[in-house]
Amino acid sequence: MDVFELLKRIRLFWSRIPEQVQRLSLLAVFFIVLFIPVRNLLVPKDFGKYGHYRPSALEEAAAQEITYAGHEACYECHDDVVDTKYHGYHKTVACETCHGPAAAHTEDPDVELPAPRERGYCPLCHEYLASRPTGFPQIVSASHNPLKPCIACHNPHDPVPPHTPAECEACHAAIARTKAVSHHVYVPCVRCHETPEEHKVSPRQHRPSKPATREFCAACHAEGATTELETRKVDLATHGERYTCWQCHYPHLPGSR
Amino acid sequence: MESVVEHLLPRLKEITGFIYPNEIELHWSILVVVYPYITGLVAGAFILASLVKVFKVKEVQPTYRLSLLTALAFLLVAPLPLLAHLGHPEKSFEIFLTPNKQSAMAMFGFVYAWYLMAVLLLEIWFDYRRDIILWAQEETGPRKWLHKVLSLFSSDISERAVRFDRKAVQAVTIIGIPSAFLLHGYVGFIFGSVKANPWWSSVLMPIVFLFSAIVSGIALVLLIYMIATPMRSKQIDMDCLDKLAGFLFYAMIVDFSLETLDFIHRIYESEESIEILSELVSGKLFVSLVVIQLLIGMIVPLVAIALVKLFRTPAELRRLLYFVSALLVQVGIFSTRWNVVIGGQLFSKSLRGLTAYKMSIVGVEGLLVSIAILVLPFLILLALFKILPPWKEARHEFGPPTGSG
Ligand code: HEC
Ligand code: HEC
Ligand code: HEC
Ligand code: HEC
Ligand code: HEC
Ligand code: HEC
Ligand code: HEC
Ligand code: HEC
Repeated sequence: MDVFELLKRIRLFWSRIPEQVQRLSLLAVFFIVLFIPVRNLLVPKDFGKYGHYRPSALEEAAAQEITYAGHEACYECHDDVVDTKYHGYHKTVACETCHGPAAAHTEDPDVELPAPRERGYCPLCHEYLASRPTGFPQIVSASHNPLKPCIACHNPHDPVPPHTPAECEACHAAIARTKAVSHHVYVPCVRCHETPEEHKVSPRQHRPSKPATREFCAACHAEGATTELETRKVDLATHGERYTCWQCHYPHLPGSR
Repeated sequence: MESVVEHLLPRLKEITGFIYPNEIELHWSILVVVYPYITGLVAGAFILASLVKVFKVKEVQPTYRLSLLTALAFLLVAPLPLLAHLGHPEKSFEIFLTPNKQSAMAMFGFVYAWYLMAVLLLEIWFDYRRDIILWAQEETGPRKWLHKVLSLFSSDISERAVRFDRKAVQAVTIIGIPSAFLLHGYVGFIFGSVKANPWWSSVLMPIVFLFSAIVSGIALVLLIYMIATPMRSKQIDMDCLDKLAGFLFYAMIVDFSLETLDFIHRIYESEESIEILSELVSGKLFVSLVVIQLLIGMIVPLVAIALVKLFRTPAELRRLLYFVSALLVQVGIFSTRWNVVIGGQLFSKSLRGLTAYKMSIVGVEGLLVSIAILVLPFLILLALFKILPPWKEARHEFGPPTGSG
């Protein structure tokens, strides 16, 4: 079959197609033909080589300037600090969290790194917030040794409290403040809670006692009880018989019922 | 920092319970509400047109072309809210150049393109072709050329060619119905497949979306028909209106049952999310879900149309009731979209708290832009009415062109 024959057949075929379909297919062919060069032009040549992205994007990302060095890099010159921090409470806090990106500094120590010495900084993590996990050390900075910078008492690289807290208030601030304005103000915490000294160092392992019976309160409040403190008396047999006293009286603020 | 705090403070007061820090700001704003609303109108209007063609319902014939043009006008606007929301509209075409088969959202671009090019435009073209050619013959000046270009310079209006047109319309309609289902089912699919979100994650989602789309589409065409006809000082065809209202009624019944089914299913399943969801429904969503979507947008119109169907009512009153019902349905469906999109982001992934949505007025994600986007399709529709009048009197009945127009 020669070329003319073929062309003739194509022409015959074309003329049999309804006119409107001819128009539409021309339009479609036009768009497809247009699409191919446009796509070739706009899609980067190596697109899809490794996945659904442009491989040169990797190089562009790799070419970005490195700003963080990682804490291993500090060891070379600040091994003392690294070692201190390694055993302290801040072992999970990276150096550059507090000191900022240090890549330039590791290259050239003359590039100075800032150190957050001001008092406002540490509460970013340690200010009391209800949503912080229980057990995370938190303080109320307004009342926790105000005015002095935190690092005056805490070494930022090994932040143990300078001494074990003497008062229960350091950790039970809310209870202590409540009790301080209640009628139980002169009843010391340890009168009701036998507290082992270890509780102040590892509180969850060594728990204080808690009163368990009505008779405990009766020691001061029952008819005929004798105490060093002047107390009001109630008749145990008739007063709130079957309940423990703190089902009605909050022991740290007994006036509220 | 200061400005961030100032921005967040008023919002903090509206938060209840516990939420994660990144949940205070909703990521999908009112634009994402507008988007499924518009695609729903498209799919609904198109399905109405298909009912006319496939089931040959004569009464609603006057709304056939109207529905097609409505679908087109809204379809052209449908991507705008997304483009505005995502930013970088100049990059949007890239999803066509490098298709990503893993991404449901990216593939949606193809569903959209298919629906626009292969279904809607094709059906309109085949249906109008003969008229366009005849209009072009009668006209002069730019309009003549416009119509000539629109007809792709075709000129064959022989009996055989017109018969072919009709067959083609039939074929496109048959492809078109599943395509319209796909178009809006897909939107529902995107929400329904977010498995981390108990408010969205439901296999019923695509179907519920679809039927609410049909409801809103029919109601919209009814509204446009009722407004456009008197504006052209023509008489409203009551048979057509009754039939449309009938369709609307049945679609709403199905929609209502599906939503109830979804609701009962959720309550019976009682997953751990049920508590926060019931808090949501009885609290922050009460007005938009129970009052607007359910009562005003669903029950009131249902009752109104049912009453009209049960009792003989004068045409004047019927028209009023239909109009008000269709309007309420629009409000209802819009708040349906609102409740899905915004509602789904109001509760924390912790299932322990609720956040709040504060709509901005100005700005790309704001109310004004949304209103503009919702008004735009009507302007496009007006232009389409000028270029491709869908009215009966603009149509050339068979026989030689009369030349009177
Ligand atoms: C090449 C050695 C070298 C490396 C590596 C290095 N530093 Fe230094 N750094 C120095 C020298 C030298 C000084 C200045 C010592 C001085 O003034 O006492 C310094 C000072 C500092 C200071 C003091 C700033 C101040 O205000 O007192 C900080 C903080 C610091 N480095 C942090 C880091 C951290 C974090 C890293 C790891 C990412 C690091 N350095 C890695 C050499 C190094
Ligand atoms: C919790 C925040 C914090 C972290 C984490 C931290 N630093 Fe510091 N660093 C400080 C503060 C605050 C000072 C200032 C101390 C001062 O002036 O007494 C300081 C001072 C320094 C100094 C200069 C004074 C000195 O003690 O030698 C060096 C060097 C230093 N840090 C290195 C490091 C390195 C290395 C690491 C990681 C192993 C690290 N820091 C981790 C807060 C931090
Ligand atoms: C990036 C957050 C962060 C910053 C900033 C930070 N810390 Fe800490 N801090 C921690 C973490 C984490 C722990 C360890 C908590 C644990 O062991 O459960 C800790 C523990 C502590 C402890 C131990 C409390 C205890 O249990 O006895 C003290 C004291 C402390 N930090 C003081 C400071 C001081 C002072 C600063 C400011 C120089 C500071 N922190 C800055 C995160 C931080
Ligand atoms: C005057 C010294 C002093 C200053 C200044 C100081 N603290 Fe303390 N801090 C202590 C002592 C002492 C304790 C032990 C508990 C107690 O007695 O209050 C402690 C305990 C803590 C604890 C542990 C609480 C716990 O639950 O174990 C944290 C965290 C803490 N301080 C953070 C800070 C921060 C942050 C600052 C700066 C805003 C700061 N401290 C300033 C002395 C100080
Ligand atoms: C270093 C901080 C710290 C100090 C100081 C401290 N406590 Fe505690 N205490 C805790 C923590 C932490 C818990 C455990 C809280 C929890 O599990 O919710 C606790 C728990 C308790 C409980 C409840 C135990 C239980 O089984 O429910 C009592 C009672 C108590 N402390 C009393 C005291 C008294 C009294 C003092 C003062 C003599 C005191 N604590 C000092 C940290 C402290
Ligand atoms: C009059 C006796 C009394 C005194 C004084 C007292 N408590 Fe208590 N406390 C109780 C009783 C009783 C309970 C048990 C309440 C319960 O089981 O519901 C208790 C419970 C607690 C608890 C655990 C439950 C809770 O509310 O968090 C802590 C912690 C506690 N006390 C701390 C303190 C501290 C700190 C002080 C001193 C500031 C103190 N208590 C003083 C009687 C007392
Ligand atoms: C059923 C709840 C209830 C229980 C249990 C209860 N109380 Fe009371 N208590 C009250 C009420 C109510 C008052 C106030 C009565 C009044 O003002 O007359 C009161 C008052 C008191 C007073 C003050 C009396 C006065 O003259 O103002 C004391 C002291 C007292 N209770 C101690 C106790 C002790 C100790 C226990 C446990 C043995 C206890 N209560 C158990 C409800 C209770
Ligand atoms: C060490 C002795 C002592 C013990 C133990 C004691 N109290 Fe008291 N209580 C007092 C004193 C002192 C007062 C103040 C004087 C008064 O109001 O009677 C008081 C006052 C009260 C009041 C009256 C408060 C008011 O505002 O009217 C109540 C109620 C009370 N105590 C309940 C209890 C309960 C419950 C317990 C057991 C958990 C308890 N007390 C244990 C000494 C004690």
